[in-house]
Amino acid sequence: MKYLDRSLMKSTAVATLVASMMGLAAFPAAAKDLTVQVWAGGSNVLDSYRVDAIVMAADILERERAILGEELNITVETKYDFDGWEGFKQAVTLAAEAGNAPHIVVTGHEDIAPWSQSGLIRAIEDYVDFDSWPLNDLYENLVEIASFDGVIYGVPQDAESRPFFAWIPHLKGIGYSDADIEALPANIQSGEYTLYDVLADAKKMQDAGLVDPGYGWYPRVSRGGDYWQFYLSFGGEMLDADTGKLVFSRDAMQKFYQFFADAVAMGVTRKNHIGTPWDQWYSEVASGKAGLWHGGTWHYSRYTGKEGLTDFFGNIQFGLIPAGDASGRANTITHPLVYLVTNRGTDEDATIAAELIAIASEPRINTLHAIKSAHLGIGQSQSAVPLYANDRWATGATERLLPYASAQPNHTGFSPFFDAMWNGLEATWTGQKSAEEAVAGAEAEVKVALGNDIIIR
Amino acid sequence: MSVSARLGILFLAPALIFVTLFFFAPVVLTGVFSFTNMSTATGITGGAYQVTSNVLRQLADEGFEKSTLDRLGAKSYVVSAQALVVATTEGVVDKAVLVELESKHLGKTYQSRRDFERFLKKLKNRPRSTRDLKKISPYFRASLMGQRFESEEVLFAMLASLDLGLPDPQMRHVARASYTGWVWGTGNFKRMFSLGDNLRVLRNTGIYVVATLLLFNTGFALVLAIATFYLPGRHSAFFRGLWLLPRITPPVLYVLLWKWLAWDTGFINTILANFDIQSRNWMLDTGANAWLFVVLINGFVGASMGMIIFASAIKAIPQTMLHASEVDGANRWQQIRHIILPQIKWPIMFITVYQTLSLLTSFEYIWLSTDGGPGTSTEVWALAAFHAALDNYWGNLQYGYGAALALVLVVIGVVMSLIYLRLFNFDALITRPRIEQ
Repeated sequence: MKYLDRSLMKSTAVATLVASMMGLAAFPAAAKDLTVQVWAGGSNVLDSYRVDAIVMAADILERERAILGEELNITVETKYDFDGWEGFKQAVTLAAEAGNAPHIVVTGHEDIAPWSQSGLIRAIEDYVDFDSWPLNDLYENLVEIASFDGVIYGVPQDAESRPFFAWIPHLKGIGYSDADIEALPANIQSGEYTLYDVLADAKKMQDAGLVDPGYGWYPRVSRGGDYWQFYLSFGGEMLDADTGKLVFSRDAMQKFYQFFADAVAMGVTRKNHIGTPWDQWYSEVASGKAGLWHGGTWHYSRYTGKEGLTDFFGNIQFGLIPAGDASGRANTITHPLVYLVTNRGTDEDATIAAELIAIASEPRINTLHAIKSAHLGIGQSQSAVPLYANDRWATGATERLLPYASAQPNHTGFSPFFDAMWNGLEATWTGQKSAEEAVAGAEAEVKVALGNDIIIR
Repeated sequence: MSVSARLGILFLAPALIFVTLFFFAPVVLTGVFSFTNMSTATGITGGAYQVTSNVLRQLADEGFEKSTLDRLGAKSYVVSAQALVVATTEGVVDKAVLVELESKHLGKTYQSRRDFERFLKKLKNRPRSTRDLKKISPYFRASLMGQRFESEEVLFAMLASLDLGLPDPQMRHVARASYTGWVWGTGNFKRMFSLGDNLRVLRNTGIYVVATLLLFNTGFALVLAIATFYLPGRHSAFFRGLWLLPRITPPVLYVLLWKWLAWDTGFINTILANFDIQSRNWMLDTGANAWLFVVLINGFVGASMGMIIFASAIKAIPQTMLHASEVDGANRWQQIRHIILPQIKWPIMFITVYQTLSLLTSFEYIWLSTDGGPGTSTEVWALAAFHAALDNYWGNLQYGYGAALALVLVVIGVVMSLIYLRLFNFDALITRPRIEQ
């Protein structure tokens, strides 16, 4: 997609007119033409405002500069249809090595650590002021997630969290009353309703014939940060705050692996569940074929849009991911995407790119993305933007989930840790290894890959 | 050198260039990369020097004094005379703000960039745009933290300006610890040999190569070639054409067809539903299932090459031999056993050698179908190298480790080639030319 904005004549005319009206010293500043490339990862057509917001921002920035007597012509080139996160990250890193990185990337916050080390990205705080509008309105914890080693590298683009979902008619089918269903989120949060209660309810649903075997507990079908939630549910820790090192909690990892092995053993989750096509999964959870599952806040737009679920709130209850046992807690993980400015081009180009990002973060513009894609807002003022405030899902999910959300750590060594966690989980789930063997394998893997950067507990 | 020898070299030149560019260069680079810790974080083209909290922690572990580290880690901004001079000469356009700083605020210290900029914004001659504001503050930065130095010399100059009194070896120590680029080392090989899972991957590679090769690339290819040989001409062309389809179908599409066949809502399940068999993803159901699909998917593609080579080799057998054998009363099996197979011994050996080496490094169909799953039960060595170096969900591509894994394939490939050359006595295949001495 290409957007060719603003004709030269229009902006020149505006600039001249405004400059003369305001009696500004009309320095004949040279016109600046810039093509800004924006790439967004992990996005589909519902997330188009991740890049389109920059197009809108370009219009505003050009007008602002024109008022100051500067002629700026920005062409924004956008791209968001990559082959999954893997394909996107491969494209960005290899393009950057070849000197062709896009000016702006929209990616997960986890890339900040490695990309700042390799010099692929610039610290955005060098170009924009976080004490002025709209950046001073951003949630502090999101800005924290967009920082690394005390430096703000990116601007949060959206927030989300990953809830536990339950199909209300099936809950009723196994004896839940309306009041019980209403109380479920609170019971989860207090730790009263645990992950093993999830399995028990899933079994009941299957035994009652409400769902097919293997559909009682229907988790995410592919690798993803969501699975750290279950590690946290059993008391796992990801980062040691004092030393800044990663933490491998052996005990929590084993209980987390065992939980999924138990789900398979009870028959409530299929042994070959991982690798189920996403399209199939979405249509099944949005139509009551599954009993209990977990997903992301952005699923709302898919369920109610493409999958045609008309009464979301009448059919689906949501809450935090339940605690596993007393050592853990109910939780959810937020994985904010961030706008990052790369090392492409001159300092002046980077300034323009950063200013575009700041403008794109205005509550009204960001709300377009938040509501269209069912993500959560990034700034406090968004709750006063009617489009956001009137959206039941955005406000409800923000209140129920976001206060308990944590994020995966920004650490250069987190990627190998992630791989080890996933390999172990998949091996346990599919019965290749026992939970004990898988934990030992994962531990060996992180020890070799990370050495002193990880603490084994 | 004779004219014909020189001409020979000239004729070979294009091939030599291609072999150098697309074989030797990659192999050499793989070798080089494998002795580095190159990754997304280190970049490929070199690094810079950056003092981070991690570096400070490392230095603390290595016995640096706390007072030194505190100085290194300080994040202060100071309105110093020296900074004002540099800012004035290096082109801060708005001189008024510098004058105001010098006259009223000399010597003031701020704990962070944000604090300093907040202070700047309160000045009478405050910068009137964020751009100007951002241009001023770097001149007053009096700390190393959060800065990126492109060369060791710049880092040393900055260290010197802090008056830490560090001796030379310690300065170098700081430089080493704060270097962001890749360094040489044998860590990749230690990692590779210490991981038990790699043994499993190696075993998978063996299963994959042997099973696909024996069952399809030579075995089934041979069956096809012989079967179509005994068919009437038109029919045999049709069947051979049919078996070429998998090879000429784009891989993504071809694998997608297999996936549709095996999915929970796919063709197999639709049929089996009539017999009350619970639907499942047949491809990823168990490790054995996944292997069956991996071998079938690769084998259907691989069989066609052997089929073509064997079929043309069989055609080259003098018909008279077959006719004579029929006169002698030989049946089909005897013909195959005593005439066809001995006559196509060399093509069989060639296909075996060629396909072993190509299967060893091919992973695209596995990547597209099972992606090494379920678990890591169909992860083969080439796929593992690809995953490590170029295809990572969380984004940290480990070029160095991936290269080390790939180097193993190069070594296995070379060793196997030598064994094959020896075993099949390739020399016997080559007749010395009669023209040259």
